Amino acid sequence: MTDTPESKIPDPQLNRRSFLKGCTAVAAALGISEAMIPKLVEAATTAQRPPVVWLHFQECTGCTESLLRASHPDIARLILDVISLDYHETIMAPSGHQAEKSLHDTLDKYAGKFLCVVEGAIPTKDKGIYCKIAGRTAMDILAEVAPKAAAIIAIGSCAAYGGIQAASPNPTGAVGVQDLVSGTPVINIPGCPPNPISFMGTVLHYLTFKRLPVCDNLGRPLFAYGRRIHDHCERRAHFDEGRFAEQFGDYGHRNGYCLYKVGCKGPSTFSNCPSARFNDVDVWPVSVGHGCVGCTEPNFWDTMTPFYERLPNVNIPGIAGITNIDKAGKTILGVAAAAVGIHAAVGIGKKMVKGCGCKDDK
Amino acid sequence: MIYEKHYVWSILLRLYHWAMAGSIVALSVTGFYIFSPWTLTNLEGTGLFPMMTMRYIHILAAYLFTGAIVARCFLFIFGNRQERVWDVLPISARNIKNLIDTLGAYMYLTDHHDEDRLGHNVLAGMTYVTTIFVGFIQIIAGFYLWLPESAFWQQFGNAIFGTQQYGRFIHHILMWYFILFAMVHIYLVIWNDLKNPDGLVSSIFTGNKFRHREVK
Ligand code: HEM
Ligand code: HEM
Ligand code: SF4
Repeated sequence: MTDTPESKIPDPQLNRRSFLKGCTAVAAALGISEAMIPKLVEAATTAQRPPVVWLHFQECTGCTESLLRASHPDIARLILDVISLDYHETIMAPSGHQAEKSLHDTLDKYAGKFLCVVEGAIPTKDKGIYCKIAGRTAMDILAEVAPKAAAIIAIGSCAAYGGIQAASPNPTGAVGVQDLVSGTPVINIPGCPPNPISFMGTVLHYLTFKRLPVCDNLGRPLFAYGRRIHDHCERRAHFDEGRFAEQFGDYGHRNGYCLYKVGCKGPSTFSNCPSARFNDVDVWPVSVGHGCVGCTEPNFWDTMTPFYERLPNVNIPGIAGITNIDKAGKTILGVAAAAVGIHAAVGIGKKMVKGCGCKDDK
Repeated sequence: MIYEKHYVWSILLRLYHWAMAGSIVALSVTGFYIFSPWTLTNLEGTGLFPMMTMRYIHILAAYLFTGAIVARCFLFIFGNRQERVWDVLPISARNIKNLIDTLGAYMYLTDHHDEDRLGHNVLAGMTYVTTIFVGFIQIIAGFYLWLPESAFWQQFGNAIFGTQQYGRFIHHILMWYFILFAMVHIYLVIWNDLKNPDGLVSSIFTGNKFRHREVK
């Protein structure tokens, strides 16, 4: 074959080499032995591609974006090759009634066999009218699809825990999938967005071993969310050595010191970001100089903010203006110290007026 | 008038007291450091590992603190009369009367001193029981932060605090409870020692309190 410019263009289809590369990357993320890779490949190639219904509710499509445009082409193509996306509003060809039909065909034909992926939170206030697709509320759609699915994967922090929609004061009463579904197994892949490899790992695990991976207490697969970011972070040596960036752009920041004092939430956040990393260039927030914001944790918009402080603010009823936790502590301690002083002064005053009052006065 | 010596606090209680007092000081100092490391943060090549050292001391003190709390819970049930939990809670007529008298005395309204009570007054006792309880929450939060991968601590931690970040937040707020307690406690112990002749401060070292008896 002559070396024409055309032949240098990468094969747009998934070739075997990148297919195997993708499978190996997933196996590494799953932490399974090299010897299992052939099994994984076998499952990914020979198993009947499981139909997937992908529901979009209150979301920004960021999870889908990061999955599909992933500059990790191996993973993105692997996903599309391994599963059969029967219904996905962003990328499916049919629209309108045809789209609805394809959804219902899948539900009928593959009842109990298809995987349901949910992206986005579900509003529950006012009977869920804040999110409607084809005239039906998200609650309705989920209630119809969920019982028929073999398992549900809640992708992204919104589907898992409500995400930004559920941030206080949560005007639409948004909740995650696990709050509405019972009976069908739900697995959470939180993150804003989550790493595609965590999603792929879950799917391939399901195909290979015919069951969902082991999860932690919050429904997240341990292979991806089993360790704290802080415990695998490349800046950890600086933390232990007490070297911190005090401000963005200062000496410590420029020298790659730990971002703890500028609000890094790595010590409170479970995710594989430091090891799996993102995109082709293997970066993640902390590696490029921004602290972790804790996006894989429940209610992170409420609990991880302010993003550039170590701990949340306190809200003391009646005392506005003091939000810093230690300022509040010192103020309360000061008030108590003043009370102690007054108490002692009263005692001394009384003694001067009336004598000691002690039992052994005599 | 002569003084009678009464053995009030067992050795275990006194050990517990000083283990608790000492560990709380260590835990608060290192806790402040962990929250906001105050050492020079751009010193390279010293090999001092200040954060690691502080965390190490914090955890050592944490185990001492945990041991102390467990010992106190044992004494609540199996200790001597003064040490048992029902002697210090307002659950009997005698104890409720003591609570009211104590409040009166602290407000300088009465000078009454319960002569037949050797142990804590009931107000103090209630505060101590509360402190032990808060200590338990602090221990759960602490081990939840310390052993994040342990399913055992995760189930408690997630149920009580929700997330690691809130565990830290509560852990930090409760530190202020202990600091507040320590200040008021030391003041009131000295106040009582000045008021009454039972030798309260030395009792926590020697275990003995004194009662006077009229000489006929
Ligand atoms: C009276 C008792 C205690 C006090 C006053 C105390 C205080 C503190 C404070 C203020 C922090 C910093 C929190 C932050 O800003 O994030 C902290 C962190 C911590 N404490 Fe305690 N603590 C106590 C008991 C314990 C116990 C019993 C344990 C059990 C192991 C423990 C384990 C930890 C751990 C693991 C951390 C996090 C350290 C890190 O970031 O690596 N603490 N403590
Ligand atoms: C120089 C410092 C201290 C002195 C002289 C002192 C003295 C005493 C005395 C005399 C008692 C018995 C009081 C009574 O009968 O009501 C007592 C009890 C107690 N103290 Fe302290 N104390 C000191 C520091 C601390 C600190 C720093 C803590 C902890 C934050 C602490 C925690 C306790 C507790 C929890 C009890 C109750 C003992 C029990 O459970 O029966 N003390 N202390
Ligand atoms: S940058 Fe964040 S995650 Fe990394 S060591 Fe520092 S605090 Fe931990």
